[in-house]
Amino acid sequence: MDPQAPSPPPSSSSLSSIQKAVWDGKLPLHITLAPSESRTFDQTDPYLIAHPRLAYLPSLLPRLRDFFASALIHPTSRPHEGWFSFEGVPLKWHYPVGLLYDLYAGADPASRGGGGGSPSATAEDADPLPWRLTVHFSDWPDEELVRLDADGMVMHDAFINSVKEADFLRNGTAKGIMALSKEDSAGLWTAVRDVDLPSFQRISNILLPPPNQPFRNVPVRFFLPLPPDSDSPSLKVVQSPIPPMIAPIAASQSMMAAARGTPQIQTIGSALHALLPNLFPSRRTPVLAKPVLHGAAVPMAAPVEELVRCSAYGDGWVYVVVRMMG
Amino acid sequence: MELSTSSQHPALAIFPLLTDKEFDSACNQFLDRVHVANESLMGRLTCQYAQRAIGPILRITRRISHVSIPAYNSQSSADDPIRERYTEAYEDDPEALIRTPEPSVSLHVVYDVLLSPTYQVPVLYFNLQPTDHPGPLGIDAVYRYLVPSQYREELQSVGVMGGISLGYHPESGTPAFFVHPCNTADVMRQIAGHRRVTPETYLIIWLGLVGNRLGLQLPRNFFATDEMRGNSRS
Repeated sequence: MDPQAPSPPPSSSSLSSIQKAVWDGKLPLHITLAPSESRTFDQTDPYLIAHPRLAYLPSLLPRLRDFFASALIHPTSRPHEGWFSFEGVPLKWHYPVGLLYDLYAGADPASRGGGGGSPSATAEDADPLPWRLTVHFSDWPDEELVRLDADGMVMHDAFINSVKEADFLRNGTAKGIMALSKEDSAGLWTAVRDVDLPSFQRISNILLPPPNQPFRNVPVRFFLPLPPDSDSPSLKVVQSPIPPMIAPIAASQSMMAAARGTPQIQTIGSALHALLPNLFPSRRTPVLAKPVLHGAAVPMAAPVEELVRCSAYGDGWVYVVVRMMG
Repeated sequence: MELSTSSQHPALAIFPLLTDKEFDSACNQFLDRVHVANESLMGRLTCQYAQRAIGPILRITRRISHVSIPAYNSQSSADDPIRERYTEAYEDDPEALIRTPEPSVSLHVVYDVLLSPTYQVPVLYFNLQPTDHPGPLGIDAVYRYLVPSQYREELQSVGVMGGISLGYHPESGTPAFFVHPCNTADVMRQIAGHRRVTPETYLIIWLGLVGNRLGLQLPRNFFATDEMRGNSRS
C-alpha cells in the first residue's frame, strides 16, 4: 500500500502480493497462565509463539492446555474452556488476534512516512511486543464472552455468519455463500482457521465478484477508541453501507462541485469523513485520528474496495481501528 | 383495532428491506398499539422502545412461569446432537444438577428487536434468565423453553448449528442469542407479497415469523391485518 500513489490502478499481482503479506503477518505472543490457576502462581513459564495476525486465539488452546497441563490447579479443565485476557480485559475470540492487538495493545502503527507521526514516546515506555496475554481455563466470564464448545461449532458458526454478512454487503444478497458447496463452505473455515492462503483463495474466488464487477457495498467496520475513563467492555463499532463509488449527488454537496456528474472513488478517507466527520475533518489528511489496519496506518487515499480485495480478514471484512493521534 | 394497510400509505422504499425511518415508524406504531391493548390481551409481555447509541431498539420482555420440565424430559433427546452437545456444557455445573428435578422454574426473557445495519431488516437478539439463577442459560434451554416443538427440527436443521446463533448484543456487547437475518428479506417478500404494507404491518408480520419460533407469541388479534383480510376475501 503506497500512500503516495493514488492514481494508477493496481495490477492484480500487486493486490495479491499485499494479500500475501497480510496473510504472512505474525504477532509475537507471550502467554502466561492465570496465576490463580497455577500451582506455581506467577512462576509458570510463559508460552511464546509467533501467531498469524489473521488467526483466532482459540486455535492455540489445545497447545496451551498441553503446555500448562502440569501447572494447572484444576487439571480436568478442557481446551475449549480456555479464554484469554489482556490487562484484565477478556478478549473476544471471534476477532482475529491482529485486530485485538490493534484494538487493545496501544501500539503505534507502522507507517510509510517513517517516525514523523510517532515520536520516541513508545520506544522507551512499555514495548508492546511481544504481546503479553493471560490464558485462563476456569471462571469463564459469562457476562462478556460467548462460551466455546468442544467441537468448535460455535466458532465455526460465528465465522460463517460474518462471512455471510460480508457477502450480503458485496452482492446485495447472501446467495453467494449459500450457493457454496458444503465442502467449500467448511473448507473456507478450515482455510482461515489454519491460515492457508492458497485454499482460501480458491474458495474466495468463487465468492468474490470478479475484479471488473464492483462491489455493491464494501464490508468495512470501524472501531472507535474508548474514552479513557470507560469501564465498558463494549467496543464502539461504526458500520454503514459504504459503496465503492461516491454518487455524483453526494459529490456536488461537497467542495467537489467541479466533479459533479462524475462518480468519485470511495477512499478510506472519504468513508471516514462521511461517517465520522468530527474525527476526520479532512478526507485526505489524518488530523485528529488515523485509520489502522493490520498494524499499519492506512493511507487515506486507499480505495476501499481495493483495500477489501487485498487486505480483508478471512471473513471478508476489513476491520479498521481508529486511533487518536498526538 | 386493526392494522391499516390501505393504499394511501406510501410504499416501503426498499422493500423487502426496511429503512431506518420506516423501522422507527413501525416501532412507534407498534408501541401505540400495545398501549391501547389492555393487559389481558398482552398477558405477560411488556414493551419499550428507546433510542440507543447504536440506533433504536424495541424491547419486549416476557416472564414465563412454571416452565414444565417433566414435559421436556418426556421427549427423547438422544437423537438430537445439538441439544446434547449444549446440555453437556452444563453437566459440570453442580447447580444445574440440583435444579433439574425441580418441577418448574420461572424465566425472564428479554427480546430486543433492532434494524440490522448490514441486512436492513429487523433482527432479534434475546436472552433468557431464570429468576433464581445467577448465570445465563445455554442454547439447549432456548430450544427447551422457548422454541415450540413444531419448529425445533426446522430451526436446528439450518446452518452450522441451527438458525439460532450465539453472538454479542450490539448495544451492550454482552453475549446474546440471535436469529441470523440473512434469509429475512426473501421470506418477507414471499409473505408480505408486495411493498404496499405499512412499516407496522411489516414489523408485525416479521414478529409473527421470527417471534413465534422463539416463544414470542403476540396475541392473535395483532396479526389480523386489513390486508390479510382483504387477501382472504379476494
